[in-house]
Amino acid sequence: MARIASIVRANAREAVESLRKARLRTLLGLVGVMIGISSVIAMISLGEIAKAQARKEFEALGTDIMVLRKSHDQGSPGHPAGVLEWSHVERLSAEVDSIRLAAPRILGHGSFRYQGRKVGNESIQGVTETFARINQLSAASGRFISDLDVGRFFCVVGSGIAARMREAGAGTAVGELLEVNEHVFTVVGVLDFHQESYALPFQLMANESVFVPMSTAERVLASPEIDVVVTRFDTDAGHDAATDEVQAYLHGKDPGLDVDAVSARQLIAQMESQMRIFTLLLAAVGSISLVVGGIGIMNIMLVSVVERRREIGLRRAIGARRRDIQGQFLVESAILTTAGGLLGVLLGLLATYAICRFIGWEFSISMFSVMSGIATATFMGLLFGFQPARQAAKLNPIEALAGD
Amino acid sequence: MPARESLSGPGAPGNARMLHLTGIRKSYRIGPVETEVLRGVDFQAGAGDFVSIMGPSGSGKTTLMNIIGLLDRPTSGTYFLNGQDVSRMRDDRLSHMRNRHIGFVFQSFQLLPQLTALENICLPLVYRGARRPEMKRRAQAILERVGMNHRAGHRPDQLSGGQKQRIAIARALAGDPAVLLADEPTGALDTDTAADIMELLVETNRSHGVTILIITHDPAVARGCIRQVRIRDGRISESHSRNPPCGAVEGEGPVVETGAQARAAVQGAGGPNRGKWPE
Ligand SMILES: Nc1ncnc2c1ncn2[C@@H]1O[C@H](COP(=O)(O)OP(=O)(O)O)[C@@H](O)[C@H]1O
Ligand SMILES: [Mg+2]
Repeated sequence: MARIASIVRANAREAVESLRKARLRTLLGLVGVMIGISSVIAMISLGEIAKAQARKEFEALGTDIMVLRKSHDQGSPGHPAGVLEWSHVERLSAEVDSIRLAAPRILGHGSFRYQGRKVGNESIQGVTETFARINQLSAASGRFISDLDVGRFFCVVGSGIAARMREAGAGTAVGELLEVNEHVFTVVGVLDFHQESYALPFQLMANESVFVPMSTAERVLASPEIDVVVTRFDTDAGHDAATDEVQAYLHGKDPGLDVDAVSARQLIAQMESQMRIFTLLLAAVGSISLVVGGIGIMNIMLVSVVERRREIGLRRAIGARRRDIQGQFLVESAILTTAGGLLGVLLGLLATYAICRFIGWEFSISMFSVMSGIATATFMGLLFGFQPARQAAKLNPIEALAGD
Repeated sequence: MPARESLSGPGAPGNARMLHLTGIRKSYRIGPVETEVLRGVDFQAGAGDFVSIMGPSGSGKTTLMNIIGLLDRPTSGTYFLNGQDVSRMRDDRLSHMRNRHIGFVFQSFQLLPQLTALENICLPLVYRGARRPEMKRRAQAILERVGMNHRAGHRPDQLSGGQKQRIAIARALAGDPAVLLADEPTGALDTDTAADIMELLVETNRSHGVTILIITHDPAVARGCIRQVRIRDGRISESHSRNPPCGAVEGEGPVVETGAQARAAVQGAGGPNRGKWPE
């Protein structure tokens, strides 16, 4: 054991030295491994971060959330597609047992002007009082739409629009008049900044929206159809029971009306399957670059064996066994790939950080990914260094000493 | 084999048959043509012997040296090294025997360029599993012995030819081998430097009782040796000996010659004849 330890120790120093001398080749090898390992790191890290993120979002949303939308595949010849109207869902929570709260919305497009200046050009959303509660929207000043506002030209503006109104001299914006598609609304509330949730199957875009009473939206929008109904359902009854009940209720209102219901559990599953595709993609990129990097390493080591024939011959002459030579080249290869792996870990974490910043996820370092990255790199060195090391060990010392 | 052995070699003094080769044959086959380079070589050398091997180019000197040095196996014949039959030893065992018993000195030095002089000298000890401080201490002592302690941290490309060969000799001696094999050790050096190296080898042989075999084309170098053998037509003949060969008078040590005398011999021959030895 002492002998092997001594040889490995001596070899490690020499390995570093000889790698340092062959700079370009070393660099190429490092880059190959680095890219491979960084993909692996990004893959594992993003997977873990996404999972944590999903958990966090659903904790915030609540697991009893269920979103209803009109089915896409409806309407056939002789069977006109149903229309999801306010009157259909108005009493949903009251008349369907398993639905505790329901917040429908009508979505339309609008452009917004304050004192002749354009302050936004996004969506008008016709909503009810429950919409704010169910979607966790909070008022920065003023109040949200109330069920008492029926038919009134009151509106609540998102933080982005409010900011632009302030720039135009509107103060808190509450009480100001806002022109919405030729209609004049009084601003009754301003929302806090809202972080869009990626867990939901629809876009809220709260910061760039103007919320108006449902009944008002029906009057001012060209095609006032309800696009989603966000509900809280009785999880004890179960998702399927709730869906069936809702479906039956809506059929009673309009036989041509089919809805899709998506609950939190399905959303989590959906997100996970999306994550899996993403992970698979990264895994493919990672393993391809690992293989390419590995073949690069193998080449580098093969060239190194050829270039250092004399050294190998000399070592054999002074008493190195075949397995000592093999060990030497394996150590060298492993040092090379491990160094590449360390750089890859750094690059991978950097990429993960950048992606998290871009998507708006919370970045964290996964120790598991760092460890597996380094272990993979070392393993690659041993795997792809094996053949070259064997060739080095098999060299005939006399021919090797004779050199080129 | 114990994991850790002492650094000193087995060079038991007075062992008359350090090297004992009988009927050594070696042939190479290139395609259909088989050429026999060695055709029954009998050779013996005792502890402390100092032998020069001469012969025309291509006569098989290096081939014989490789066999003696356990880098190659004879096609037939028997070879005992320090009383051990090495003909049937496995490759790992041969590596071990080389490490323990044999030191090599090459015409082209064969120093590892990425290592310092001291680290080059340590190499044989690395394969013995020696501890670093122990290795360093021993290498330092040998460096001193070859008069190179002021160059310990230099890399080979910072050394002259003679200095490189001194380091190479130091490396060969680091493992305290019983036998030192030198294949044209002065072939790449000028006359003066060659004389210095020869002086060092004589000194090593005299004061440490190391058996030395030198392949040389230089009759002056050969003259510095105690025994002179020639290879011709695949056989060996003792052309001259200032002392009866060991096999003949067992137990009697070789006549000791001082390094200065050897140097005088080499330098005396350093005239116009040098290097014109008929091949
Ligand atoms: N590996 C080999 N394969 C074929 N022939 C060889 C090989 N090694 C040496 N020889 C031949 O053996 C002969 C002796 O070579 P060598 O021992 O190197 O001679 P010397 O050292 O006396 O000059 C030469 O003719 C050489 O061509
Ligand atoms: Mg030769």
